[in-house]
Amino acid sequence: MSFLLPKLTSKKEVDQAIKSTAEKVLVLRFGRDEDPVCLQLDDILSKTSSDLSKMAAIYVVDVDQTPVYTHYFDISYIPSTVFFFNGQHMKVDYGSPDHTKFVGSFKTKQDFIDLVEVIYRGAMRGKLIVQSPIDPKNIPKYDLLYQDI
Amino acid sequence: MCVVCGPAVTPNYCVRCFLRSCTIFFLAKQSLSGLPVTGRVCKQQGSQGKAPRSRRRVCSGACPPLGAAGLAPPRPRRVRGHRMAKDRLHVRLPRAGPMAPAERCGLCRQTFFCGRGHVYSRKHQRQLKVALERLLPQVEAARKAVRAAQVERYVPEHERCCWCLCCSCEVRKHLSHGNLTVLHGGLLEHLASPEHKKATNRFWWENKAELQMKEKFLISPQDYARFKKSMVKGLDSYEEKEDEVIKEMAAQIREVEQSRQEVVRSVLEPQAVPDPEEGSSAPGSWKGTNSQVASISQQPSYLDLPPAPELDWMETGQPLTFIGHQDTPGVGNIHSGATPPWMAQDEEYSSGNQQIGPSYEEFLKEKEKQKLKKLPPDRVGANFDHSSSTGAGWLPSFGRVWNNGRRWQSRHQFKTEAAARNKQSHKEKKLMIS
Repeated sequence: MSFLLPKLTSKKEVDQAIKSTAEKVLVLRFGRDEDPVCLQLDDILSKTSSDLSKMAAIYVVDVDQTPVYTHYFDISYIPSTVFFFNGQHMKVDYGSPDHTKFVGSFKTKQDFIDLVEVIYRGAMRGKLIVQSPIDPKNIPKYDLLYQDI
Repeated sequence: MCVVCGPAVTPNYCVRCFLRSCTIFFLAKQSLSGLPVTGRVCKQQGSQGKAPRSRRRVCSGACPPLGAAGLAPPRPRRVRGHRMAKDRLHVRLPRAGPMAPAERCGLCRQTFFCGRGHVYSRKHQRQLKVALERLLPQVEAARKAVRAAQVERYVPEHERCCWCLCCSCEVRKHLSHGNLTVLHGGLLEHLASPEHKKATNRFWWENKAELQMKEKFLISPQDYARFKKSMVKGLDSYEEKEDEVIKEMAAQIREVEQSRQEVVRSVLEPQAVPDPEEGSSAPGSWKGTNSQVASISQQPSYLDLPPAPELDWMETGQPLTFIGHQDTPGVGNIHSGATPPWMAQDEEYSSGNQQIGPSYEEFLKEKEKQKLKKLPPDRVGANFDHSSSTGAGWLPSFGRVWNNGRRWQSRHQFKTEAAARNKQSHKEKKLMIS
């Protein structure tokens, strides 16, 4: 499924994507193509990408090929999805400990669509952080591990 | 005062000559009994010796009776601007006219000068009816509560007061004590009190309201006793209900607690227990934290599978791949607020390549937009572009003078001629060139 989505393979390409996507939500999935949860997520992303084409641009990024971004976004679990709008990183409160990215896969396509819409609306209004519309039951749980704790 | 009728009858005036006399009217020379009378006596007493109703009378001696010789008496109207009879005669008499001292009616909220007559007027009766109609539903509700008193939990709404018309005082509608309220208790208490009864009687008498209505606004002491009994019953039943509710809530809490315990226990069950729902491994994170608890509960699961199918989706689904701690001390990340990689200045960036401003394509786009801003060149009017070239057909007139028929016809003709002319000119040009 990840072959259906455009891929970004280097830091420059990611930079380019972030800087050039205008008036649309930029969705970057960080993960590996072979990972099973990534496959699930890619399935949802590819199926919804045409419906969301006017609102969002979806790209797939391999964590091994862009260590800079992996390090910057502190991606410890894959898949992680990061959202941007007009070059600005959008934070979303999912009810999980990390607001900067969505860790794991979505349960349904509708969840993802709702999330993108909420981000779009919030960003158009000038917000930098929005509240996720997804039911907290459907948010995958993970442990945010801290070093030395 | 009249010597025969006594002080009850107020003296009044003849409407014609304003002779002060008794309401009933005139100085009589003889009393009923036939003895000569010295003081002022009414002439027409009637058999009972009571004053007749109508007040508009004339004195016997000088003035002719009303209706005689077609003379209509001047009716003293108490309408503003309408001059009284006394004014018409330009006579200032002491206390002239049927004027009582100014009194204020609380119901109509108006001052009037009619004395007791105001109470019978239509306006007053109407006001009275409206006021009683307003009060009646409250009293009816209270009366219903006599049989079946309701006890409720206290809510600030129970502080509402009701205005008792007869006592002209505000009365608390509901009786509240501590956490509980008895609905309509306060009003009932007031309605049953003897002061209210007295005030109601007074009100009815003063405002001349209908006597049948009076009973509706009173609550007898027996009714009040009945209400008290039902109130006690109501309180008891309320307490029972409260106890029940509390027990229910406790049961619910116990249930929830139980289910939670079951979930925890079933999750901790070792793999030996075959559970179809829990085919794949339990999530690693759970195991880590609950390893200590697992040792405690080794019981075979007599419990059903965990009643939370939603949890399964995340637990039994693939655990997320962990790709290692992404922290290098010294280099910041998003959480520490370092500059994002896409904002960091690129090393390959040479100043020559750096072009500030729009690129060529953008410039062309801007030009297009500018063109659209200008009005079409052929448009006539202000800001007309005089430098633009206009064709032969630009003017609305086609040059015909003796034309009749439609404009279209002349236009058509003009066009064909223009085409022919163009052809001609093209041919000539070709000839000239060659």
